[in-house]
Amino acid sequence: MSFPLGIWDLSLLLAINAIALLITSEMLSPSYGRINILISRRRLRNAALTTSALFLATVAVRIVGIILGT
Amino acid sequence: MVSTISPRLVSAALLSVGSLALAVSIIYTAQIPALIGLGLIFWGIIVQYVTTEDYVKKPLLNATSQSSLQILAETLKKLDYSGKAVYLSPKYLANAEDSRLCITKDEKSRFPTPEQTIRENKPLADYPEWLLLAPPGNELMKLFERTANTNFAKIDLPDLESVLPKLLVDDLEIAEEVKINKTDSKIRIELLNTNYDDFYRGAVLPNSIGSPIASAIACALAKVTGKLIVISKDQTTENQKMLIIEYQIVQGS
Repeated sequence: MSFPLGIWDLSLLLAINAIALLITSEMLSPSYGRINILISRRRLRNAALTTSALFLATVAVRIVGIILGT
Repeated sequence: MVSTISPRLVSAALLSVGSLALAVSIIYTAQIPALIGLGLIFWGIIVQYVTTEDYVKKPLLNATSQSSLQILAETLKKLDYSGKAVYLSPKYLANAEDSRLCITKDEKSRFPTPEQTIRENKPLADYPEWLLLAPPGNELMKLFERTANTNFAKIDLPDLESVLPKLLVDDLEIAEEVKINKTDSKIRIELLNTNYDDFYRGAVLPNSIGSPIASAIACALAKVTGKLIVISKDQTTENQKMLIIEYQIVQGS
């Protein structure tokens, strides 16, 4: 029993989620009333930026790994 | 009636299914359930985080505030009070936490002293020369104080200048940008893309009382400066993008 994903897999997952969140936070209409879940645009944008930062951190880790490896 | 799904329910469902998928992936060392599990847990947390506020539609906000101001305008017209509204500082009030505005019969009428206004601390104290009213932005100003966790009577103007933009832009999301300029006894506040931009179309603003947002800031300024405040300008630009409010600081008796 071990966790089957590496940092590169997590990086990919974060990248996909970050893109989805960033696009959603930019396209979300604040005035459209027929919604089932009420969303705070500010918090969604914060979550999108945090996820993007985490993705970039994994990229930085990868780059540092490559530089130190060579 | 539109039924709303509970965000807590959605979040709990995503988190439980995600945890199950993650457990399966660890037991069988499988990548696909791990990706699905992590994704579901991630979205479960996001749903919980972004869905904690209540919203009302903007036209509803404007419609409700306009009608109450219209009633006030008609009442003042019937009572024949034509003087400018003056926002009172705490020294004019028995309860310093509250705000009141004073409207004189006309421009020539004598303005009350602090002793007179404290003695007659009623929501609507009618006098031949002046009357006291609760301003339309009274509750909004209290919301400002609660949100900023500050008593405006205990801070000074430079502090308010630093608190107000964060309050209006980040915390309450009333405007996208706030600019404050102070020159001698005048304070000019510019709000870009406010939630109240539609309010000014056809709104009746009697006796320079101001819109709810202008009134709330006037209440805050009266508390902060400890002086009387008059709204000298409260209007939007032609394209409704910018709301410009100008306040005049008046020396009281």
